[in-house]
Amino acid sequence: MSGGADCPCPPAPLAVSGRPGSLPLTLVLAPLLALWTVLVVGLGLPVLMGLKLVRLRRLAEAARLVIWWYGRGCVALIRAFVPVRGRGLSPASFPQPCIVVANHLSVLDVYFMGAQPVWNMCFVVKSWPWRIPFYRPFMRLAGYLDSDRLPAEELLARSRAVLEAGGSVLFFPEGRRSRDGNLGRFHSGAFALAVATGRPLVPLCLAGTDRLLPPGSRLLNPAEVTLAALPAVAPAPFAAGPVGHIELRKLVKKRMSEALAALRSGADPHTP
Amino acid sequence: MTDKEIVDLVNKTLAEEFELDPASLRPEAGFAEDLGLDSLDTVDMIIVLEQAFRMKIRDNEAIRGIRTLGDLHAFLIEARDARGA
Repeated sequence: MSGGADCPCPPAPLAVSGRPGSLPLTLVLAPLLALWTVLVVGLGLPVLMGLKLVRLRRLAEAARLVIWWYGRGCVALIRAFVPVRGRGLSPASFPQPCIVVANHLSVLDVYFMGAQPVWNMCFVVKSWPWRIPFYRPFMRLAGYLDSDRLPAEELLARSRAVLEAGGSVLFFPEGRRSRDGNLGRFHSGAFALAVATGRPLVPLCLAGTDRLLPPGSRLLNPAEVTLAALPAVAPAPFAAGPVGHIELRKLVKKRMSEALAALRSGADPHTP
Repeated sequence: MTDKEIVDLVNKTLAEEFELDPASLRPEAGFAEDLGLDSLDTVDMIIVLEQAFRMKIRDNEAIRGIRTLGDLHAFLIEARDARGA
């Protein structure tokens, strides 16, 4: 089943690969984001390393808080130049600890996670971000999980440990960025974790980040970005059968697909 | 079931349950490298195939040697023959 097959009406393509970016926007916003990054890395990393030396027990939480504030700063800077809309992003929409599943359109998506209200969030990420020198120490300190390197069973065990310690876990279940704006194949890990732990699953829909920074482009476009959290899904009804998580995965994908179609048509999706 | 019916049911089940593009379901396709299925998907695949074919296959040692979709087709055809024998 393809990602788009769940939607009753075929959505218009969102991706704008090849569209020329805006040089003025890039020349203003990119240096501001770079400065903010230098500030956070320059101040945050020494503080966190100092906390590591004194063996702070909650070091991972401290690192996640720094990353979340960094993301919030990035969103605030971006919001000064392009519209950023939030729907259903109140803390009540994210019963903690929870499992968040977000669609993936752009490298900017992770920065926009600063717009959601949960600071104690462990990201499940692929291997390539670990190669960014100034992000890697923060990711290690925050206990982020490498989905390429860890076997699925260990990834689930570590994710479970994060939830048991009170942290939430963020997955991009497509595992890669969409190139046409439609949802790709969802991997099952997040949904198996929800069924195994009984923790609620919060679908988070992103729209417009692929227009703000199209895949392959180095230039930013003035595009509206929307984040919409859908109502949390309780996994209990899916715990009965051996493959209940597959049914949960299909349900969540259907709801996200419908919500993204609504966002594209200018309507508001149903949010809490 | 005929061999073709088995192949069709396997492919239909995998396409529906794992959102795979039917065009990618070639006999030479490897589960990990070509179809992108991880170890969790592999466990799920065995369960959904057991449900689709209504037979237990997880305890069969030969299943450990399956690398491609064609291997899986052949395995299930053999399992059908063994059950009919």
